[in-house]
Amino acid sequence: MRAALLSLILTLVAVAQTPAPLPSQNAGDVYICPMDPDVRSNNPGKCSRCGMALVAGLPDPVEYHLDLSVTPRPIKPGQPASLTFAVHDPWKNRPVTNFQVVHEKLFHMFVVSQDLEVFVHNHPTLGSDGNFHYDYVFPKSGMYRVLGDFYPDGATPQLIAKSLIVPGQALKPVALARDYSPKDAENLGVELATEPQQPISGGKTQLMFRVKPGDGLEKYLGAWGHMLVASADLIDMIHEHPFIADGGPQVQFNVVFPRAKSYRVWVQFQRKGVVNTAHFDIPVKELGK
Amino acid sequence: MSRTRRGVRSFSLLFGVLIVSLPTLVPAHDIITTPVTWNREISRIFYSRCVACHREGGTAFSLMEYGETFPWRTAIKEEILERRMPPWGGVKGFGDFRNDQALTPEQLELITSWSQGGSPEGEAKDLPAKDKLDEMIKESAWYGGATHADHQPGEIVIKGDFKLTKAFVLDGLFPRNVPEDSSVQIIAEFPDGRIEPLLWLDQYKQQFAHVFLLRAPLELPAGTVVTGIPDGASIALLPPPKE
Repeated sequence: MRAALLSLILTLVAVAQTPAPLPSQNAGDVYICPMDPDVRSNNPGKCSRCGMALVAGLPDPVEYHLDLSVTPRPIKPGQPASLTFAVHDPWKNRPVTNFQVVHEKLFHMFVVSQDLEVFVHNHPTLGSDGNFHYDYVFPKSGMYRVLGDFYPDGATPQLIAKSLIVPGQALKPVALARDYSPKDAENLGVELATEPQQPISGGKTQLMFRVKPGDGLEKYLGAWGHMLVASADLIDMIHEHPFIADGGPQVQFNVVFPRAKSYRVWVQFQRKGVVNTAHFDIPVKELGK
Repeated sequence: MSRTRRGVRSFSLLFGVLIVSLPTLVPAHDIITTPVTWNREISRIFYSRCVACHREGGTAFSLMEYGETFPWRTAIKEEILERRMPPWGGVKGFGDFRNDQALTPEQLELITSWSQGGSPEGEAKDLPAKDKLDEMIKESAWYGGATHADHQPGEIVIKGDFKLTKAFVLDGLFPRNVPEDSSVQIIAEFPDGRIEPLLWLDQYKQQFAHVFLLRAPLELPAGTVVTGIPDGASIALLPPPKE
């Protein structure tokens, strides 16, 4: 029995996606100036400021600043808007222009409207000014949450939310009922089952997706799937990638839903060159209630 | 919350293999399934976000040491995921504050992983140097070194929608009287039509009232309407402190 279980686990290890290395877990990945700890490099060398030898160190998980500006202002529904993302370091607020590629892109951006009807996952491009740029047409008025996912050189990955308000009639927050019904996307269908069936806040929930047809699945941006989890009040926003996937029809994500709220999850799978997006609604309860 | 989890996945699974292989060698409690340790990641977060209050001589029980924190590991996870602790009270990403004490998604993920993964102590060599602790605590203090009293001259206390009759440089906000557990979104509607999010309070607790200091002062022209304040509540608009 134990051998069978061990075999199963080894199989799971084999099929799990290779995790991206995190510099915060490997002391040798980052070199820091002991005099100027904000001078960091992914290679050994000398501090560009003081000339001291850089030493291998462990980046603390500090929070960078992300400034989001939009032109023209005010933002008007249905009209083009240009979004600019500027990243600054947390020590002296200096512009940050060097980034690591994460899942084939330097910057991942999610846009979600307050009524949860608008969902965008796209990738602003790095301009010659060192900022990231993206043109977008906000379809309607109301509040939007914009999530920036990026990885400054020598730091730790950043996941920073911003808020934009498009003048006009405010969008009302939504009350989400459980919706696990199968979804038809562009060229595949998606089914969802969770374990436990009733997700509990603060505990791990396995979200097991089955796509049909099961052939032709391809990696999208370096992963067998992408998932954004947003609470109905848009306070929690979580970007996940599969915990277990092998290109077959079963894809498992693991999530800890932070609070006893309702959540909408958007999943994206690529099949035969087409990106499919589907969403499900998951009420989460408190343990014992 | 996925990135650190991706980073720990292979460790977790491989450790799971060891656990299954050697059940008789592992204690029946607290199976370690995370590479996140107190000495490496968690102590640094706590020193920068928690121990200004949670220390001997502070205003709450101490979370300075591993042995003091371990018994609270499950309650800590629940408190931070519910955003009850640290009691910053504002929703991240709605307004931008230089004294922001809320935990980042990465910090939430690390603490959750540590709490659920057996809460290991780790290696002593990874613990941050204690000679920097006073500095870390000082940096983590509420108010970021400034208090409401520093801003009182020139503040404007508003109730309900408020239209500025002259330009005002906004350096921060202070919830003077906000209903307990309320959720409040305060915005500024500029004369040119644009709208700036100022502050989103959620599950507000009066006992943890503090100033919210903008990362950069915001110039509000005459005619700007500050709105979103519920009935019975009052908010102070703070100008930059006097030199």
